[in-house]
Amino acid sequence: MFQRARRRLIVPFLLPAVAMFLVFFVYPVVQTVYISLTSWDGIARVKHVVGFSNYSKLTQDALFRNALQNTFVFMIVGGLILFPVALGMAWALHQPIRGRRFFRFIIFAPAVLSASVVAILWVFIYNPTFGLLDGLLGLLHLDFLQQIWLGDSNTALPAVIITDIWWGIGTWVILLSAGLERIPREIQEAARIDGANESTLWWRIILPLLWDVIRILIALWIIGSLQVFTLIFVMTQGGPLGATDVISTYLYSTVVQSHLFGYASAMAVVLLIIILVLTYISNRALTRETHEY
Amino acid sequence: MSGSVSRSTQHGIRASIRRGYASFTGRHTIGRALIYLLLGVYALGAILAFLWVLLVSLKSNPEFIGSSPWSLPKDWLFSNYVNAFTIADIGAFFFNSVLVTAAATALSVAVSCLAAYVIARIPFGWNQIILQGFLIGLMVPPILIFIPLYTLLNQVNLLNTRTGLVLVYATANMPFNIFVLSGFMKTLPTELEEAAAMDGATPFETFLRILLPLCTPGIVSVAVLNILNNWNEFFYALAFLTDASRYTLPLGLYTLSQMAEYSSAWVTLFAGLIITAVPMLLIFALLQDRITEGLTAGALKG
Repeated sequence: MFQRARRRLIVPFLLPAVAMFLVFFVYPVVQTVYISLTSWDGIARVKHVVGFSNYSKLTQDALFRNALQNTFVFMIVGGLILFPVALGMAWALHQPIRGRRFFRFIIFAPAVLSASVVAILWVFIYNPTFGLLDGLLGLLHLDFLQQIWLGDSNTALPAVIITDIWWGIGTWVILLSAGLERIPREIQEAARIDGANESTLWWRIILPLLWDVIRILIALWIIGSLQVFTLIFVMTQGGPLGATDVISTYLYSTVVQSHLFGYASAMAVVLLIIILVLTYISNRALTRETHEY
Repeated sequence: MSGSVSRSTQHGIRASIRRGYASFTGRHTIGRALIYLLLGVYALGAILAFLWVLLVSLKSNPEFIGSSPWSLPKDWLFSNYVNAFTIADIGAFFFNSVLVTAAATALSVAVSCLAAYVIARIPFGWNQIILQGFLIGLMVPPILIFIPLYTLLNQVNLLNTRTGLVLVYATANMPFNIFVLSGFMKTLPTELEEAAAMDGATPFETFLRILLPLCTPGIVSVAVLNILNNWNEFFYALAFLTDASRYTLPLGLYTLSQMAEYSSAWVTLFAGLIITAVPMLLIFALLQDRITEGLTAGALKG
C-alpha cells in the first residue's frame, strides 16, 4: 500500500536533520554540562572532574552576582518599557490611518540590521563630543541633560536597554499587530455601538483576547533578554566597571581572558536553568482561560 | 445598554456606516491626530538618524567632527566607499557574508524541508516527540554550547573556517525552520499524496514535484528569515573565526570600529555601516510581507 511505500522515506528524510542536530547541538549541550563539572582550561588533554565546586564558587562570585543583577534589570526594565510601547504602536497601526506600510517599515527596519551595526550606530549617537543625542539636547538648549551616556555607570545600562528596545521593537509590533488583526471586527464594532469608550474597549475586550499572544511574547522576551550579548559586547564590553556586564559577557570574558572553561560552563548551565525556570513560571502564571471567538 | 446611546453616537454610527469605517472617526479626531504625531516623530527620528549616517559616510574626518550632523558634505567623498572596500577590506567581509549566508540558508532549508515533511505528513508514532526534540533547540542560547562547539570544530579542523560556520548556522536555524514548515505542510490537503500515488508517482516524486512547489510561500518566508539571521549573526563568528580575511560583515565592522578608535577613520566606518545595512533594508523593503508571514507563523502557531 502506498502508506508503506511512504514510510520508506522516513529514515533518509530525517537523517540529515537529526544527524546535524545531534552533532552540532545535542552533543555540545551534554558536553557543556560535563565540562561544568571539571576544572578544564581548554588546553589540557585530560579534564579533572571536580564535582560541583564550580557551582559553589559561583555563589560566592561577586562579579557573577553583579552580572546576574544587570541581566535581570535588563530583562525587567526592558520588558516594562518594551511591551507598553509595542502595544501602543500596534494599536496605533491598527487604526484606520494612512501610510501604515510606511510606518511599519520604519518601525521594523532596525530589526533587519545586524546587532553590531546597531551597536556601532548607537555608540556614535551616544558619543558626548560629536554624537546625535547630546548634539540634539544642545540644540534644544537642554545642555544640563547631556551625559557621557556610555561612560557613566549610572546611565550605561539604561542607554543600552533603550538601544535594544529600538532595535527589537519592530518584531514585537508585527507580532502584536498580527494578533490584533485576528480579533474579529464585529466584536469591536459591537462594543463601540454599545457605548464603550476607547479605554473600556481596550481593557475589557482587546487585551483579554490578545492575552495568549502576549504570553508567548513574554516568554520570547525572557529567553532573548537573558542571553543578550552582542549589543553589550560591542557597545561597552561590559563596562564601565561592570555596569553593563551581563551573564553572557561575563561568561565570555571568563573563557577568553581567564581560560576557566569549567567555570564558564557552569555559568552557562546556570543560565539555561534560569531561562527554563522563568519561561515555565511565566507561562503558568499568565495562562488564562482562552476566550473562544 | 442600547437604549442609552446618545444622539451624537447615533449620528456617529450613521456617519460611519455611510463612510464604511469601523470606528467613529468623528469623535476620535484628536486621538488620530495624536497617533499621527507620535508615529510621525518616531519616523522622523529614524529617518534623520539614517540620513546622518549617510551624510557622514560622504564627509571627511575633520568635517565629521567639526560640522553639524546634517550639513551637506563639502565634497561628496565616494572615495570613502572605495576605501572601505580596499583599505578596510569590507569587500572580503561582504563576500564572506554572502557565501556563509547563502550556503547556510540553502543547507538548512533543504534539510528542514525533508524532516518537516516526515513529521507533518507521514504519521509513524514518533512525530510529536521528534518535533518537540527539535523545538528544544529554540530555548538554548548559543553561549551555552559554544565551548564544546569550539572544541569539536577544532578537532575536525573546521575551526576558523567558513564551512564550520555554515554547519553551525544551518543547525541553529533548523528548529525554527522545521517548526514553521511542518506547521505549513500540515495545512495541505491529505488527498495530495494519494492522488499522486494513484497516478503512479513514487513517494519521493510526490514530495519533490507536488508537495514542495505548494510549499513555496512557506519556504520563501523561512528562507528570508534565515538569510536575515545568518547575515546578521555575530557571536559564533566572533568565537570561531580568527583570520580577518574570513570575517563576516558584522564581525568585520566591529573590528573596524575598534581600529577606528585609534586611527579616527570614522567616515570609512560609516560607509561600512551603510554597506552592511543597505542589502538587508532592500530585501526587507521588497519582501516585507514574506517576512511578516514567517515571523507570525513561527511565533503564533504555538
